[in-house]
Amino acid sequence: MQACVAVKYSMADYWNIAPGMENALKECFSRDAEADVTLEFSIPEKDFNNAGKGSSEVKNLLKRLGVDSEVLRRIAVASYEAEINVAAHSHGGEMTSLIYDDMIHIKFIDEGPGIADIAQAMVPGYSTADDLVREFGFGAGLGLPNIQKNSDALHISSAAGESTLLEFLVFFAQ
Amino acid sequence: MSETKYFHAIQILQDNCTGCTACVRVCPTEAIRVRDRKATIDPNRCVDCGNCVTVCQFHAIIPSSDPLDIIKNFKYKVAVISSSFFGQFTEDISYAVAKQAVLELGFDEVAEEAMVTDFMISMIRDYIRANREKRPTLSSNCPAVVRLIQVKYPSLLSNLFHQEAPMSILTSYLREKISKQKNLSDTDIGIFLIVPCVAHVTAVHQPEGAYKHLQDGAFSTGMIYGKVREIVKKIQNEPPPIIDTYPKGLTWALSGVQAELVDCDDIRALSVNGVENVMDILSKVEDHYLDQYDYIVMRTCTNGCVGGCLNVENPFVAMSRIKKMIKEGENKETNVDDLIKLYEKGEFVVVPLTPRPIMELDKDIKNAIQKMKKINEFLTMLPGLNCSACGSPTCYALAEDIVLGKASIDDCVVLLKRHSKEEDE
Repeated sequence: MQACVAVKYSMADYWNIAPGMENALKECFSRDAEADVTLEFSIPEKDFNNAGKGSSEVKNLLKRLGVDSEVLRRIAVASYEAEINVAAHSHGGEMTSLIYDDMIHIKFIDEGPGIADIAQAMVPGYSTADDLVREFGFGAGLGLPNIQKNSDALHISSAAGESTLLEFLVFFAQ
Repeated sequence: MSETKYFHAIQILQDNCTGCTACVRVCPTEAIRVRDRKATIDPNRCVDCGNCVTVCQFHAIIPSSDPLDIIKNFKYKVAVISSSFFGQFTEDISYAVAKQAVLELGFDEVAEEAMVTDFMISMIRDYIRANREKRPTLSSNCPAVVRLIQVKYPSLLSNLFHQEAPMSILTSYLREKISKQKNLSDTDIGIFLIVPCVAHVTAVHQPEGAYKHLQDGAFSTGMIYGKVREIVKKIQNEPPPIIDTYPKGLTWALSGVQAELVDCDDIRALSVNGVENVMDILSKVEDHYLDQYDYIVMRTCTNGCVGGCLNVENPFVAMSRIKKMIKEGENKETNVDDLIKLYEKGEFVVVPLTPRPIMELDKDIKNAIQKMKKINEFLTMLPGLNCSACGSPTCYALAEDIVLGKASIDDCVVLLKRHSKEEDE
């Protein structure tokens, strides 16, 4: 997969890494291990009745693994925000959670329409949400900054008219 | 797993249990299993919500509360009545008469939760304003909610309102007042709660977070109801009893009305009732999705304490009656200066609660992952009907039970039938 190649060869360019987490990241990718448990979840476009269920499943799984409750909350917030983003802004997508014994790697790939200006989307308060989305109480423009704040490494690639890939990592030991 | 022995005010009568699994399916923490055709409750998982008591048609799951006789062991006997109690009587029976009837059960004094409602509201507001960084504050009055947080949402323990519940506040206040006024020692005074649910019975016997012994027993509303009605019949046609009532304070029995009272310009309150709704909200609080609220009132029973499984009246009828009393009644003035002094002295502070995790598969994450892989393997073999016929609530729970050595794949009735069919062919 394209993303994995990028991970190996230009990690620093690829990941937006939280300060102090560089070594942990290097270490975990040098292992080249397969995920212990994988969870897949599909997110239909504008399906607000079910939005959040994928994150909730991940949360229950991590509770079973005994992940520290504060770390679990960070993962929950980041994955919930990302899941809602896909439901609210895209034509639908997939959420894949790769769980290792020391970290979780969650990927969201959607079917467009893409983010024209990622830097602008990272600014707290910036939002392109339409009225339907706002009616459901979302679209405050805090999604992406919140994901960054609650994850140890984040990558977003997108362009107008293309699909968006958002993935983040959170380590269990803090 | 923890070795602590947890007390629960729920008993299973093995002789009556048919193994129907109705209780297995309604338990919010998946604490019940039917094995060898009898239901058993895992005391580590049970939060005393009372769902199983309500659903059991065979009188096999019964609430235990204390027998009324135990009041005889004390020189001075006090009853503290839960606010929901007054919604249990038809409208021809006045609030004062119902309260007088409780007194005549053999108590020297009756007090009621409703007396301290105003004080509670101002204490809650004060607490919220002093603890803004931990929003939202989660109400801790419902013992089933507190336990639910301990077992399933431990990251939210620090959000709990860390002060005693009204009936316990009243108990500490009464203990101090009576021992001074009547010159009695603490052991001479018996203080008993009249409660609407099993969670409160459990809380009296095994309080979470209390620094000292407070109450001496708990009586179920349902259990004393018959006796109270008999006394009511006797005194109903006599001149009205001279007894103080606090109708405005009865709001405590209704989760929505209580939240409205706390809500003000700088405090936003949300009210939630019913155990499924409470779990949904707790999960959203965990996701920081409800940070716009300062206070969340949570009750596992429908409409709040009026929905308790030890009550006799339907929760909506009881709520309607109580709302009428609140609207029409007038409170006896209460002097809360003594309560404020006790609050300022920190008398109502509770010990920070510890988690009681039930979900962890193993202390070691590597082992937990191995177990999870095995669970997923078994899950693919199971039919996915979630029929509970095996005695576990869902196929996932059975897979988990198998991996944890508590069940076998042969417990699955559907697989067994499929196999026997294949053999026949």
